[in-house]
Amino acid sequence: MQCGLCTSSCPLGDAMEYPPRRIIAEAWNNSLERVIHSPSVWMCVGCYTCSLRCPREIDLTDTVWPAVRDYALQEGIQPPPELRTAFQNLYLYGNVFGYSPRKRLDWARNLEVTVRDLSKSPEPVEVLWLVGCYPSYHPRNQVVARDMARILTALGVRWGILGKEERALGDCDRLFGEEGLFEMLVENNRRLFERFKFEKIVLLDPHAYRALEKFYPRFGASFPAEHYTTFLASRLDQIRPWLKKPINARVTYHDNCCVGRRCLCFDPPRQLLQAIPGVELVEMKRNREHALCCGGGGGGMWLDAFITEHGGRRLSDVRIQHALETGADILAVSCPFELSRFEDAVKVARAEDRLKVRDIIELLADSMGLGEGGGR
Amino acid sequence: MMADALRIGVYVCHCGTNIAGVLDTADLARFASGLPHVHVARDYKYMCSEPGQELIRQDIREYGLNRIVVAACSPHLHEATFRKVLQEAGLNPYLLAIANIREHVAWITADRESGQKRARAQIAAAVGRVARQRPLEPSSYPVTPRVLVVGGGIAGIQAALTLADAGKEVILVEREPTIGGHMAKFDKTFPTLDCAACILTPKMSAVKEHPRIRLLTYSEVESVQGSAGRFKVKVRRRPRYIREDLCVGCLQCIEACVFKALKIPNEFDLGLAKRKPIYLPFPQAVPPVPVIDPQTCLRLRTGKCKQTCVEACADRQAIDFEQQEWIEEYEVGAIIIATGFRTFDPTPLAYYGYGRFPEVYTALEVERLLNASGPSGGEIVLRDGATPRVVGIVHCVGSRDHNYHPYCSRVCCMYALKLAHLIRERCGAEVYNFYIDIRAPGKAFEEFYERTQKEGVHFVRGKVGEVERLSTNGDGLRLMVTVEDSLLGRVRKIPVDMLILAVALEPAEGAEQVRQLFHISCSSEGFFLEKHPKLAPVNTASDGVFIAGACQGPKDIPDTVAQADAAAAQALALIDRGVVEAEPNIAWVDENVCSGCRVCVSLCPFDAITPDEEKQVAVIDPTLCKGCGTCVAACPSGAAHQDLFSTEEILAELEGILAQ
Repeated sequence: MQCGLCTSSCPLGDAMEYPPRRIIAEAWNNSLERVIHSPSVWMCVGCYTCSLRCPREIDLTDTVWPAVRDYALQEGIQPPPELRTAFQNLYLYGNVFGYSPRKRLDWARNLEVTVRDLSKSPEPVEVLWLVGCYPSYHPRNQVVARDMARILTALGVRWGILGKEERALGDCDRLFGEEGLFEMLVENNRRLFERFKFEKIVLLDPHAYRALEKFYPRFGASFPAEHYTTFLASRLDQIRPWLKKPINARVTYHDNCCVGRRCLCFDPPRQLLQAIPGVELVEMKRNREHALCCGGGGGGMWLDAFITEHGGRRLSDVRIQHALETGADILAVSCPFELSRFEDAVKVARAEDRLKVRDIIELLADSMGLGEGGGR
Repeated sequence: MMADALRIGVYVCHCGTNIAGVLDTADLARFASGLPHVHVARDYKYMCSEPGQELIRQDIREYGLNRIVVAACSPHLHEATFRKVLQEAGLNPYLLAIANIREHVAWITADRESGQKRARAQIAAAVGRVARQRPLEPSSYPVTPRVLVVGGGIAGIQAALTLADAGKEVILVEREPTIGGHMAKFDKTFPTLDCAACILTPKMSAVKEHPRIRLLTYSEVESVQGSAGRFKVKVRRRPRYIREDLCVGCLQCIEACVFKALKIPNEFDLGLAKRKPIYLPFPQAVPPVPVIDPQTCLRLRTGKCKQTCVEACADRQAIDFEQQEWIEEYEVGAIIIATGFRTFDPTPLAYYGYGRFPEVYTALEVERLLNASGPSGGEIVLRDGATPRVVGIVHCVGSRDHNYHPYCSRVCCMYALKLAHLIRERCGAEVYNFYIDIRAPGKAFEEFYERTQKEGVHFVRGKVGEVERLSTNGDGLRLMVTVEDSLLGRVRKIPVDMLILAVALEPAEGAEQVRQLFHISCSSEGFFLEKHPKLAPVNTASDGVFIAGACQGPKDIPDTVAQADAAAAQALALIDRGVVEAEPNIAWVDENVCSGCRVCVSLCPFDAITPDEEKQVAVIDPTLCKGCGTCVAACPSGAAHQDLFSTEEILAELEGILAQ
């Protein structure tokens, strides 16, 4: 009905030549060819705010925007170069960095707990843990992966990983209109997962979780999946006796978009944080459904320079101000993108001495006496 | 009845193109003529038209027909018409069966072939059942000439006064301590800017003074039994701890209360003003009798209080702390439900900041601010006393939104324009309306829209997506509103001091209980459903129960009043007829078969069945039975039967359907 709530809700709507409402109007008018040459096409960061609020329940984030991008790609429009490289890497190596799949286990080198690598010795497990690209390769996130391994082991969970056979799930490419690449990844992953026996898949990356939960089933790939926040929160009774070391700090939590707005799951991460002795949980002015995106989704992670150039701001910088306003000592996150984005933003804000960015896993592991103390 | 004596006529209606556009009516008539006992089968453009009816009458006379099947629209629409046709031709009117091939087939069928099959099945079923139908005589009973009106807002007030002026007794039940409803909260009404109190309070007083209206405030209907013409209702009366028969409304007790300061949020002012434990909701409340809130009154809560109120009341002795809830019973012939609406709570829309920013108000709160007897004496001031310099009004909050209410609440555009006008008039603030579409289709509405535009009210076409704090102390403007101006095609950030949310209208609290209590139905949004959206807009599926006002759907005051008078007229029509003719589809018990197990007694939703202790059988009161069939289905020995729905009739109908 052209109310424009999508545009006024969009964290970058004011900076778009063709904001979401306009795209729908152009589509009605059969004039999308005007849109696809605009930088606007590549500026959606997949935060789901417009989709959640749309009074006509138009699925902008997951349907309209990818369709426009798909059309642009079909018309031969080249996406911004940073993103092109990420896609190529994904196609060739199964991860956006272009690292060798053999290095997927680097994070677990010298880890004191046993890692069950199912690609080497397939055996039935309770939890198939998809470590994810960032926790596998990105040094800051590797700490989170190790802490997660320690927690799972301490809880007596029978878990395994796919080692060098693990590949990205392809969520961001789908949002980016690279439907073909996504379908290829779905098919490969489906065949891969079907080789193993497990009760459920647990993931660290909320985007990958969302893809597995919402989109894989459309291609006949249905696997029970949980984001680690809900998985651990469901075992809180088991975790609680371990939480002995107090973390005496004001902690604020940033809802990631996929587990939060897309899957409407807001309580489990907060339950985990509140279980930690000493933690005083404070909320940012925008929280839960109303939280502001970090700007990393929907391909935004690889378009930082592009979006900053056209949008005039980096959303993680705006969001870090919200966190600073609360007076919190720690910004807790539950998404691998956020750790790096917010640590950068803290530096930009020159607030390293005031605010630390830490994954919930790290905080739990610290309190359980298992943590490496990443980001502390 | 001897089978060879049956002579059935079948009439297939085209209903213009409604039926004939989808189904082959000539084929249906040919098909019907081959069915057992069918002597004549015809199709005709409009069976319900006079020539159509005459066709049936003629055939009855000419061919000696003694059973008629009309294949047309729902029996809800024309069953009565065709029964009359039979009667005029000398047949018992209950020897008619309707095959609904419009609503049940033509309107819902995309595939013509399967539709044709199903229409044939419906006709075969009707022919099968009509052959087994027997002549019936309707019973009738006298009507109690009294009307129950539920809800004392403008709808209930209007209906009660109209009926009482027509000489009927009215029982008016209101949940709150005063009548007046939402209208009593407003200052001015759109588009004429009449003072709401000036036009409402005379009617409120008239209710109180009317010799034929019994006003029961602070009361709720507890139960309803019976049917059109003779309902029995129980009304639960809550104690106000002040006797209405003794109080003269001097309000000395309020003055004298040991609570010197006003401490408790006043419900009538939506918490914007405070009251004492003993209070009158607003100065013109009717009845002008204070009420004591047992949650906060020291005497009622703790038993310990100086009871200065009792002292002040002195010899009148109207204060009665021992008052308990009590039940009153009434017999009425008709019921009008006018339970109104409530406004949408915008808290879930976190991005508007309602509850987070004190500068964000609902429109109803602002109505109170504008009211001279309201919390600010009619001044537009913020919670900290400052006068806003720029005011934003967000339209469609909770309306036209599939996440909340998909419907348009109809009155918001106009009340938003009214608020804009009054705010400019009172404090000269700049006013921005953030709208999707301005809907001003009523009499003098468009003119009022134009007037506000000329007065300098700003209109921005777009829905607000974000509200942020700019300043708290009022140095600069306080809030920043983000909106896409879809006419300019760009996002605008507009600073305001005050933001008003034009919230949706939704069914009143407790509407669902009311619905169940009176056996009426509701739409998916919870508004009560009229019997027919065009031709029976104040009737309900329950005979004798009528609806008026916003309980049926959002509407403004003129429409509400018109509907209230319509409901009153319908109630009058029922009452003045003096008798109700009951559909003869009632149940009866074969005493020779009944074992007296009483299964039916507890199941009957209308309390129409009583056990005869002497004969050890169940007895159905034909005047209370509504023909729902529950007892017939439940009876373990097959002793309960229902006219027009005998086992043989139903089996014949099923046979007809299944044979095709």
